[in-house]
Amino acid sequence: MNPVPETFDVVIIGGGPAGHKAAVQAAKAGQRTLLIEREARIGGECVHRGTIPSKTLRESAVYFSGLRRRAAHIAKDALGKQVLVQSLMQRLDKVEHAQESFLEDQLVRNGIEVRQGHARFVSDHELEIATANGNKQVVRAEIILIATGSRPRAPADIEIDHDRVLDSDSILSLIYLPQSLVVLGAGVIACEFATIFLSLGVQVTMIDKAPRPLGFLDPELAERFVLRFERDGGKFIGSTSHTRVTSEPLGGVEVTLADGQVLRAERALVALGRTASVASLNLSAAGLALNERGFIGIDASGRTSVPHILAAGDVIGPPGLATSSMEQGRRAIRHALGLDLGVAAPVLPVGIYTIPEIASVGLTEAEAIKRYGRAVVGRARFDEIARGHINGETDGLLKLVCDERGRKIVGAHVIGEGATELIHLAQLAIVTGLEADAFVDNVFNFPTLAEAYRVAALDVVGRRARLQATA
Amino acid sequence: MRASGARIPPRACDVQALRAELSRRIEADDLDLPILPDVAARVLSICQDPDGDPQRLAELIQRDPALAANTLRIANSAAYAAAEPIVSLSQAIARLGLSTMGDIAIGAAMNAKVFVVPGREGEMLELRRHAAATGIWTRELARHRRRNVEAAFLSGLMHDVGKPILLQAVIDLADGAEVDETILHTWIDELHAQVGARLLESWNLPPWVAAAVAGHHAPERAGAHRELAATVLLGDLFAHATDDPTGEHEQKLRQHIVLGELGIYPDDLVQLLARKTAIQASAQSFA
Repeated sequence: MNPVPETFDVVIIGGGPAGHKAAVQAAKAGQRTLLIEREARIGGECVHRGTIPSKTLRESAVYFSGLRRRAAHIAKDALGKQVLVQSLMQRLDKVEHAQESFLEDQLVRNGIEVRQGHARFVSDHELEIATANGNKQVVRAEIILIATGSRPRAPADIEIDHDRVLDSDSILSLIYLPQSLVVLGAGVIACEFATIFLSLGVQVTMIDKAPRPLGFLDPELAERFVLRFERDGGKFIGSTSHTRVTSEPLGGVEVTLADGQVLRAERALVALGRTASVASLNLSAAGLALNERGFIGIDASGRTSVPHILAAGDVIGPPGLATSSMEQGRRAIRHALGLDLGVAAPVLPVGIYTIPEIASVGLTEAEAIKRYGRAVVGRARFDEIARGHINGETDGLLKLVCDERGRKIVGAHVIGEGATELIHLAQLAIVTGLEADAFVDNVFNFPTLAEAYRVAALDVVGRRARLQATA
Repeated sequence: MRASGARIPPRACDVQALRAELSRRIEADDLDLPILPDVAARVLSICQDPDGDPQRLAELIQRDPALAANTLRIANSAAYAAAEPIVSLSQAIARLGLSTMGDIAIGAAMNAKVFVVPGREGEMLELRRHAAATGIWTRELARHRRRNVEAAFLSGLMHDVGKPILLQAVIDLADGAEVDETILHTWIDELHAQVGARLLESWNLPPWVAAAVAGHHAPERAGAHRELAATVLLGDLFAHATDDPTGEHEQKLRQHIVLGELGIYPDDLVQLLARKTAIQASAQSFA
């Protein structure tokens, strides 16, 4: 162990989206910056276990889902028995490598020192870094940012053996596509995997204690999601929970529900939330503790209860999106260094990579009513849009939420393929204070799904006129 | 298994010529590789089939009396000890499950057909035990890292499958002449990953198994299967470390670069090594 700790201006723990952006920001501000990463590769869960691998698998699922819609007779035989999951993720290595190289180049370009190791607080300014071979050194920093991410929650009553009972990490290293899958949970990760496997021809049952999946979502979209999920052959069982999950000797899993119903499937996916990855950080040595939700609590500037220790990303809890994590990391460092923060993004889009995609920005209808006393909502069903018919995506929906006068756009919610791209138009409309009429007055390419904005805006204008007439 | 083609002249064991001939045969794909025991191939097929029929598996194993006896012996061993002795294959399958039975049957078939070199029984027993221990450690490492365990056991079990083939090939080529044991084992250490992978390819086993075996001493060569190859390498190190009372191999394990590659830290080692006794018992029963 070093007798005198090596000193840095800023030390970042964790090389995922939040930590990476924070490190780049600190280095750009002229700070001597050290990034400590536990794994051999930079990128965190996002690149190596979560976002990138699951989206790569999703691309194949979208392909088969589209094929099924457009040419069901071909799709029927496209996926045979014993499909290798890896064969559906052929490009993963290249995608991961490209992303990792890009991130590493940025670190090198900005002169950021990177050390692989396991960080542990010795005091509020000092960290011990242990290598995998057990070598230790202590470093000291004026500012420390914790961005150690999260891991799948392992409920005490379920034995996740990573064989038949999987979590959202191990499901991505499945060898063969199972024939049936029970998904426990109905949050973002659960719904994404449920629809990916369903689209690949797996018989999927999703169960959750909530009456509908994606509880934070506009209920109309959630209902459409369930309708589409069940129309595609999936089954959602809400308002229930498991009482027992057991691996069966002759293969498969048995899930017993609270009402006594027993579900049998070849595999089970446990997606019942995530917990902060802090087990080995020794937070107490820095005077830190987890909040009641099991995450690191921060203030609006990203500071923990110890002001020079910051936290960002999944470790502070939801939303746990890569985009929000990056912004949290960047802003926390800027604030700590006394740099101009710029204008904080007033709204952040939410993108859910289910099949079909779901995206949301701004207020839901219910939130708008609560804030303005009334909301004027325009709808565009994709079966009203030429591109929707061309794509075979006729059950999509775009909801445009406006204020009580039916003018200012305050929210938008989309379900349908392309939703995560479409939502950005609404995001900019909200940020720039556009009125719904802007979508009527401007012309978009035809045929595109963006036409849905015009249809929804026309609906808003019509409703507004009726409201004015009755006023 | 016998190496084919021209033989080195008896009693004139020219080490360099012997090595050159061995290399030539490997490069020319001219080693006489054993065929995958039919029963093993069928067992694999049933166990990987989502609709795999336990009764069919029992009947299949039953057809090979030696395999049936071995399977029952392993199923009744300390590693799988049950309150009541297992007396039939159906009972074993029902209690242990298709997947475990598949592992047991493959292990037993390999032991009987591949890890066999006349006159080297002690060495082969050691290899069998090490293969089983590596398979089990590789599976446990995958589980510890929250990776799917399906591929791990088989890859670990097969990692040294090239060794008995090379050993037999050199014995055949030397044709009775003595080969210095140190030289012989240097060759085997150097070439077994390549020969093992070639054998597994010839058996049409899933490509990741051959890739992991080929790369189990150099995971960077395993391409898309680098992580699995690194896990097999670490499983191999764990198997050696836990079978070495001197502690020399554990020291080697603790300093190995693959720990960093897989993000396994000293606290993980403590957790994993706590399972040593159970894993050794399983490996013992497999061999």
